[in-house]
Amino acid sequence: MKRLKTGHIAEFVLWVAFAALLYSFTYDFDQEIEIYKFGASSWPRVILLLVVVAATGQLLYHLARGNGEKTTFASAADDGSGRTAAEQHHDTPRWYLATFSMLLIPLAYALVPEWIAAALSMDKAGLGTIKTVVALVLLVLFAFAARGNHVGAMLTLPILFAVGLQDFGFYTLAPVFILGVMYLMGERRPGRMLIIAAATYSVLLFLFVSVLYVGLPTGNVHPFYDFGTAMVTLLQ
Amino acid sequence: MNVIDNFIGGTFALFSDPVGILVFLGGVLGGMLFGAIPGVSMLTLAAILLPFTAHLSAEHGIMLFSVIYCTGVYGGAITAILFNIPGAPENAPTAFDGYPMTQKGQAGKAVGAAVMCSALGGTVSAIVMMVATAPIANWAISAFGPPEIFALVFFGLAVAASVGAKTFWKGWLSILAGLLIAIVGLDPVGGIARYDFGMPYLLAGIHFIPVILGFFAVAEIFVQAEKKVTGSFKAPKVGVAFPSLGELLAHKIAVVRSIIIGFFCGILPGIGATLAAFMGYNEAVRWSKKPEEFGTGKLEGVISSETANNAATGAAMIPLLALGLPGGALTAMMVGVFQMHDMEPGPLVFLTSADLVWVVFAAMFFANLSILLIGYLETRTIINLLKVPFQFLAPLILMLATIGAYAVRGLSVDVVAMFVAGVVGFFLRRSGYSLPGIVLGLILGRIGEQTFAQAMQMLHFEWTGFAGRPIALALIVAGFLTLLSSIYGAFFKKRKTSDA
Repeated sequence: MKRLKTGHIAEFVLWVAFAALLYSFTYDFDQEIEIYKFGASSWPRVILLLVVVAATGQLLYHLARGNGEKTTFASAADDGSGRTAAEQHHDTPRWYLATFSMLLIPLAYALVPEWIAAALSMDKAGLGTIKTVVALVLLVLFAFAARGNHVGAMLTLPILFAVGLQDFGFYTLAPVFILGVMYLMGERRPGRMLIIAAATYSVLLFLFVSVLYVGLPTGNVHPFYDFGTAMVTLLQ
Repeated sequence: MNVIDNFIGGTFALFSDPVGILVFLGGVLGGMLFGAIPGVSMLTLAAILLPFTAHLSAEHGIMLFSVIYCTGVYGGAITAILFNIPGAPENAPTAFDGYPMTQKGQAGKAVGAAVMCSALGGTVSAIVMMVATAPIANWAISAFGPPEIFALVFFGLAVAASVGAKTFWKGWLSILAGLLIAIVGLDPVGGIARYDFGMPYLLAGIHFIPVILGFFAVAEIFVQAEKKVTGSFKAPKVGVAFPSLGELLAHKIAVVRSIIIGFFCGILPGIGATLAAFMGYNEAVRWSKKPEEFGTGKLEGVISSETANNAATGAAMIPLLALGLPGGALTAMMVGVFQMHDMEPGPLVFLTSADLVWVVFAAMFFANLSILLIGYLETRTIINLLKVPFQFLAPLILMLATIGAYAVRGLSVDVVAMFVAGVVGFFLRRSGYSLPGIVLGLILGRIGEQTFAQAMQMLHFEWTGFAGRPIALALIVAGFLTLLSSIYGAFFKKRKTSDA
């Protein structure tokens, strides 16, 4: 048992729990198909059983061999070997906890405004206002959480950007996102950041909106929607 | 002679049509450029272009994708060599020796070798493809039913599981995770909703493009971002000394070996160029008198990997056109192009759209040749990309991926799915799982389940029916043997060497 680490056991438990959960859902679609006696649930169930077998194999492998060694060449490119001490700092349970908590911010945006609007039985315009306020609050929360964890913030920011696309539009969010990524990756020269962000934004919009006519999301919350549609009119 | 006549006909049709020439040149340059920009790949370009192919003719659409495939596989080598970011999974082994060469200031030499070998491997493969695809398609019409296709998918997945992940078991878990994602949506026989949780987005099934973009483009940016934040990001050194002809001739055995390996791997559905590159590299190490030198910046490593992956491009068109089975992410998108024009790839394409097939073949042949010319010219420009700091390149790449994911169906949920896939991919990569394995499972899962259901109906639900079909039986047995040898290798073989 010496060779087995907590991480290996956690990995095994996660796979088995995941498989068990998905297996329980197969009863929702366990219907007979007249022309096919295996029905709709046999294929998923066999795959889930194989997941348990493979996860057990992986556990036994670690039991026998410890952390394992590279068995294929791909791993040389993909595994964590050669990670520096600074990178390993991002492997601690504390870092994982902080990062996964930060990843809940986009989820909060997807759920909270709807809850508030439903509780206050608001109309569409009211929902827009709620969404703007919630987005601002979450952005401040994100900025606060990002201070000590730039890697976690780098993982969260794109999802935050994506969940806001439908409401605030590509045209409004893209410049903020571009500047945010530059900042998180260590750029601190405001002049360069602004010039390059403006250049990136203009080239992308010219190429995709003016030349290729890609309909990017304009948003649906005022005044962001008005800005988005004005940009589309200007560019096309 | 028929092949030569058809090839001349295809070439004439390609170059006598101004739109065709434009699409061809756009594909050649676009494939190379997107392949060569770190963080994006030919898949990003293909994903962005996929919705627009509806405005092109079927001939031009498929031709565009096949040209991007050829030049993109080469282009991906440039980022693998210069930044240690394989443009696509098939360029991963190129990075093993290519990147150390860059660190030693030999980037130009490695890129030059990639240019020569990609062009050579691809051109030879295109010739074999032209000669072999039609006879194989003719044979496949009578010999390949659902049981055989299911068996081929099984064999393909069994081989794919044994390469690409940290351990054999993680390879399998990756494939199985892909198969699970493929289940979401309607079941292929009765149209029953599975794992949709009442959401219309999930009912339509998880689209593979956001997943691919997330796993390959976004996850890569996250990995590089972590390096940047922690200060372990190393800017590569620039060097433009190309290899001499003598140096390349010294590796002629490696080139021939990789062409043969690449072609045979390319024929397998779902693995194609990725397996080709890994096996090409693997065999180079095995045959070498000094295997310990691989991974430290050996030219032969780059040569073996790059010849093999381009040799697989022509071969990958064979299962696509002859059987309708995609050989990887890009060929899967080609199926999408066919479907947009109300066509199905498969043996009948040769009867119904022979002109299309030959224009595509001619385009692939010339695309591989053009790598030689444009590759040399473009490389100098690309090397200048090294001077662009990554913090300025990363937002551009993320924006391109966003537009690519959104443009497929016009759904911002696809953008969310892509970034979530990016985060998941970041953590899975850290834990030694194979992202290409998951994508293969996703792409082949639906085909696998559908053909399995059809096979069982055909065989009246008798498992022994497979035994009566020699090709299916041989493929299933080969698949199980691959599995058993991998399990044996995982538990016993290396143990002995480490004990010794």
